[in-house]
Order: sequence, then C-alpha cells, then structure tokens
Amino acid sequence: MDTWQILHIPDNPPIAPDQQPTVDVIASLIDPKFANTLVRRLNQISPLENLRHVKRVKKKFVEGGKTQLSVILCLASENGNQLESMQNDVQELMNSYKLSPFITKVCKYAALSKEEWEEQCKLWPTSYHPPTYNIDGITGFSEEDSQSVFRFMKYAIQLAKSSDNLVVNAAVIVDPSVKQVITTACDQTCSSYSPTNKITLETSCCEKLEAFISHSDSDGVLNHQTVHSNSFPDKSKQLCTGVSCLYPWQWADQQSDMSSCYWHPLRHAAIVAIESSAARDRYLFPSLGKIQDKSFEMDNMQSSSAGSPAKRQKTNSTNVHSDDNLTNGEGSSSLSARPYLCTGFDMYLVWEPCIMCAMALVHQRIRRIFFAFPNPDAGALGSVHRLQGETSLNHHYAVFRVLVPQQIFSREG
Amino acid sequence: MSSLGEEYPDDTLTFMLLAMEQAKVAIDCLEVPVGCVIVEDGKVIASGRNRTTETRNATRHAEMEAIDTLLEQWREKRLSQSEVAKTFSKCKLYVTCEPCIMCAAALSFIGIKEVFYGCGNDKFGGCGSILSLHSSSSEPLISGGAPRVFTSREILMLQSLIGLLLNRQHNEQCSNKVLDFLKVCTSLSSILQDFKTESGWKL
Repeated sequence: MDTWQILHIPDNPPIAPDQQPTVDVIASLIDPKFANTLVRRLNQISPLENLRHVKRVKKKFVEGGKTQLSVILCLASENGNQLESMQNDVQELMNSYKLSPFITKVCKYAALSKEEWEEQCKLWPTSYHPPTYNIDGITGFSEEDSQSVFRFMKYAIQLAKSSDNLVVNAAVIVDPSVKQVITTACDQTCSSYSPTNKITLETSCCEKLEAFISHSDSDGVLNHQTVHSNSFPDKSKQLCTGVSCLYPWQWADQQSDMSSCYWHPLRHAAIVAIESSAARDRYLFPSLGKIQDKSFEMDNMQSSSAGSPAKRQKTNSTNVHSDDNLTNGEGSSSLSARPYLCTGFDMYLVWEPCIMCAMALVHQRIRRIFFAFPNPDAGALGSVHRLQGETSLNHHYAVFRVLVPQQIFSREG
Repeated sequence: MSSLGEEYPDDTLTFMLLAMEQAKVAIDCLEVPVGCVIVEDGKVIASGRNRTTETRNATRHAEMEAIDTLLEQWREKRLSQSEVAKTFSKCKLYVTCEPCIMCAAALSFIGIKEVFYGCGNDKFGGCGSILSLHSSSSEPLISGGAPRVFTSREILMLQSLIGLLLNRQHNEQCSNKVLDFLKVCTSLSSILQDFKTESGWKL
C-alpha cells in the first residue's frame, strides 16, 4: 500500500443485487377498470405493513399494446395451505371479482442503491428512496478534503505511537468546518501486558506497527525503550495488546501488580475523548450547565484523581505536538457557536472502535468516523458488528476507512 | 404490592426499587430517568443515575456512573486488576431500563455476573432489543454466567410499578420536558399509561 485512500464503509454489507431476500405474496391478475376500487379496498383490509417499498400493482405491457395489471392480495402464509389461511375479507373480495390468485416473490427489504432497485423491479415493482441524509464524503472527497482527512489521520497515528511505552489507540475529534482539533485522547486502560500469554498478532496492521516501532527506535525518532525502560523493559514484544478496543476483555487477565498505576478497563480512547470534549464544552460555555463552579482544569483532573504518580492523562490539547496546521480548539474562533454535543464533528481513530466506543460515538452525535485499521475480533463498524446500519438508533454517522501508506510507519509522518 | 411480593424473590424487588429511587433522583435533576444499583453478596455497593445533561457527556449513563464509583472505591483500596475482575464477577446489576448497546458492552467487558432490568429499550437496547451482546456465541461476552433478564410479563409488572412510583412522587413537578424524555428515551410505555389513566394528564 503506497498511497493514501479513503473508503466509505456502507451501512449494510454489500450483497449482490440479484441475491436480495424475498418473500412470497399472493397476487392476482385484475381487470384494469376495477383497479382503483380493488387497491383502495385491499389497502384497508390487507395493508402491506412491512413491505411499504413494494408497489401494490404491477403493470405489464402485453402484445397488441394492451396493459395487464396484477395486484398483491396479501402475504402468503408460511405453510402451504394458502386459501384457508387467507383472511375472510380478502377471500370475499376474491370471490366477488372472480380473481384467480397465484403466488409470486417480492423483495423483502427496500433497495439501498439504484442497482438493487433495478434488480428488485424485475421481480415486482418497488419504490426507491435514496438516503435522505447526506453526509459529506459518502459520494467522494475533494482533493482538499482528502488532504485534510489524511493530515488528521496522520496526527492520530502519531499520537498512538507516541503514547508512553506501548502502542495504544488514539482518538482525535475534529471540527471539519474550521479544520480544527477539538480534543485528543489515547487509551487509558493501562493494559501493559507481559508478553508471555499474549494472543498471537497476525493482523497486518500490527505487523506494520511492529515495523514502525523497530524503525522509529533505530531512527531515534521516538525511542520508547530508553524513555520507559525502567517500568517496561521488555516492551518491544508488546505491540498492539495495548489497544483497548482490540482486546476489551483482556484487562482482567493482567497478572502484574498495577495497583500503583492509574487504570480503568473502560477508558478506551474514544470514551476519554468524548469526556474531554464534554469538559471543553462546559468550559467554553459555562452558563448553560448546572455546575458552574467547576473549572475546566478541575474536570480534567477528575479522571485521574487517584493521585497516582503514573498519571496517564492525555486528554487535553496541550499535549499536541508542534504541528502548525493543527490548532487548539480553546480560545480560538470556534467560540461563537456551541454545537449540541459533538454534532458536526469528525472522529479519527487509529483502530476501528469496539461496540462500546461505537455506541458512545452515536450517543455523542459524532458525524463521521475515520479509522485506519480494522479490528477483526471486536470491531463494531463493519468487522463484527455494523452499528452504522442499525436503523433503529436515533443518530447515524458515516464511517470511512483511511488506507495508510506503508512509509508512515518507517519515518516520522 | 403484596401480589408482587409473591412473584419475586424478595431482594430482586428491593433492589429494583432502589434502582428506581435513583431514577427518581435523575428526574429531580432534569436528567433522563434511569437509575441502577450494583449488588455484591446481597449488599448494595454502588448506585448510579443518568448525568448526561449535567455533564454534556451523552455517555454518562447510570451504569457507567455506578461502575466508575466502584472502580474509584477499589482504586483507593489498591485492589489489583485481577482482584477487581474477581469482584465484578460476583456483582449483579439492577437497572430500571435495559442497558443500551454501549452499557451492555461495558458490562460485558468488566465481566459482571448478572443484569436485571425493568423495561426493554427498543431504540438502543443491547440485551436483546437491538443487539444481543449478552448472548453472543463467538465471545464470552458476559463471563460468569448469562445475565438474567425479566420475562415480558415481569417487565410489564415492573413497568407499572415504576410508573406508580414516579407518578406518586412527581405528579406535580414533572415538566413536559421530562415527560418527553420518558416517552422518547426510556420506552416506559406503561408509565405513560399510568400517567394518563391516573392523573388525567394529556401526553
């Protein structure tokens, strides 16, 4: 992989348009002059509740310029005995208009793309409504926006690499309208595992990061070994086990005594970033909250209030390295408008989030999520679950994977 | 109440009522009315209620609050990670509303023993309503045994119980905003029913 690339991860796993699930319905040819009456009556006595995308009437042009109409009477029942299980009202209608029913297939779900819809109509006509929400990027990124996405992802990867002794997940919340970092965070589960009983890491992303670690160490760019040699001498083998979202259950297997260190099994990078952005919101717009006496600093300290010397607090933007293009959210132009939670903001994560983090990002109203590496065993945005496709949720974000060129791991981005 | 007493083991009802008390506190603070308690060996060791409005952090659900309270306690006692994990595996959670997908995952990650909830959550529920994070076959999502949830009949009875409780306490104070929260966020349909029938409120 040599170039940067952004891939949209759709709400539903791609299925071949001609393999969409279908259901059986009972239909009948009708005389066109009764069409209106019949359809009106059928909509009353036999509404197609879960098949709103399916059209009641199918029109077919036959030889001699004539049109032939068929109408759906009702759903076919699961067992074979169709006529007996049919509703009395429908049967009466059938008898009085002398209809001869037949069973046919219609597509079970509304089409999600034009291709699916065209395929559906070959079976029985349906209606197609393109997605009503339109989030920038789903249909492609401009060159300028792409560059901005790559820059923020590069920044997130730097954070993940530079955090203490081992590779962790990093989260960057961005206001894309002003291309500004709102807040950043790294995992705070403090899951520095001993290398003995580790899951074998075979995913390519981990190999890449391993490559990065060895390179950066030899380059002296980020020399983890010397910085943290006291507490974690054998860190070179620890790799991605520190990424909370990849191994959310693993904190409990910790053998070493971590009682002196701040840790919390649920403080994944995304959760910490959300907390930090909420603290920022309360700080910037204090009048709207109930607790006005609490300062931003106090709030930020709260999460690490164990008072341990090994604080792992990485939540606020003061940790931002010198990247001139990335400005702090605080005290700058964004003061004027206060968004509701993170409405309109983007989230950059190095790894695909677990289901806890993915749902937290729904709650906090993030607009788009970008991640670089999939999370094959616990990922919630396409790998194991696909939360962006859960239609019952009250908020939906768009999800993108950012493909990262190999060389970002071998030299400082 | 006496008929309910026969239906449940005593402590289940007791703990659920304590969870409802927490939901009530949330209402007083104009928060979404969800509350919970965490119980170890028959004793309540932590409680929590929604604080999403106050914190402007939409992830501060009752369960997360209670979990954080416990971790803080245990941190002060200098419990190790394995000790914490072991204690969580003995704990039961009683919560008024089905944990959302985020909380269900969090409860699974910490390895809580059992979850009892009052009413289902058809928008975000993570224990069967939308996703079934408690019973995935691929991963031991909740270690130490599957969570016990109420049957739909029990849920109905608890719902009306919550409804009566909230109704009694908050007939006068409830603002329309809170009622909207009730309607939209907690799916306590029978609360609304009770409000309607017993107080004659227009919803």
